[in-house]
Amino acid sequence: MKIELKKFGTTLISRQNGREAFAAFQSQLTALDENENLELDFEGVITFSPSWGDEFLSPLLKKYNERLVLINANNPSVKATLELLAKINQKPFIIR
Amino acid sequence: MAEEKDFITIGEAAEILKVSIDTLRRWDKSGKLSSTKTSEAGYRLYYKPQVKIFLNELFGLAKDWVLKETKLSPEFYCSNSAVFQTRLIQMQDVLMAIPRLSNIFSLVVAVAGEIGNNSFDHNLGNWPDVAGVFFMYDIHKRNIILADRGVGVFATLKRIKPELNNDEEALRVAFTEIISGRSPESRGNGLKFVSKIVAENPIGLVFQSGDAELTLTKDNSDLNIKHSPEPFRGCLALITF
Repeated sequence: MKIELKKFGTTLISRQNGREAFAAFQSQLTALDENENLELDFEGVITFSPSWGDEFLSPLLKKYNERLVLINANNPSVKATLELLAKINQKPFIIR
Repeated sequence: MAEEKDFITIGEAAEILKVSIDTLRRWDKSGKLSSTKTSEAGYRLYYKPQVKIFLNELFGLAKDWVLKETKLSPEFYCSNSAVFQTRLIQMQDVLMAIPRLSNIFSLVVAVAGEIGNNSFDHNLGNWPDVAGVFFMYDIHKRNIILADRGVGVFATLKRIKPELNNDEEALRVAFTEIISGRSPESRGNGLKFVSKIVAENPIGLVFQSGDAELTLTKDNSDLNIKHSPEPFRGCLALITF
């Protein structure tokens, strides 16, 4: 399953918005098959920060581990945020 | 007429403005901030009041607000997080249009976002008096100013690290120590992100909370924290880019 993060907004920065996005996303997640990867596409995201990322990505990383795959994660704020979140969660992200 | 003591060296001007001496030399050449005269030995001298004005009237306004709760014009004030997000996105659009900033604008916005959102996240339901943040930026002077009249970093971190003794220790932890997912609250890693971004990019930060003032610049991972003669309860940040 591939999810375009820009559908949640192109400036993804606050914890509150990250929590709201995560809650809204739960209904889509029910369609994910047992062995299917969950691909999150950062294309179009302009600014990304650890507050939003911690609310949205950290629980997904904990639940899906290497089935969580991040793509188009080249934006400088996306890269820097992912490095910090990997440290906080003590687990690396799979980035393609 | 200006007296001799009103003139300061380039090093002193750099210290006041929290930029490097090389930056000041560039600004002198481009006319952005010209030195006022040259000393007998041939060194640039700056007129101190002019340097302070350059630093920013905005910074003075923010500082007066955190110190004395002066009246704020609505254009500087975000009463809640939604207003702050809206203005932050407006700033993002402005910065994005500047070609020189194409590599760092998203980082500058993320840094400002983390600092401003921290104010809301850590004070929600707990504001001692005025809720909200001061938020203003000046594209020409290349700076962003954020301030809040919240409980401050020490009081916030003491809830999860009771062993902390003072503002300086609290700032050091806030900017360096990663609080892992096992901690009772997940909040609190935003300032680590800020220190990493500043250390790796042409971005500067001065951050004061309580009686501790921290200065961070590129390529300098050592935290420079000093005692401020004007303590206050909340937080005050100056981001330069």
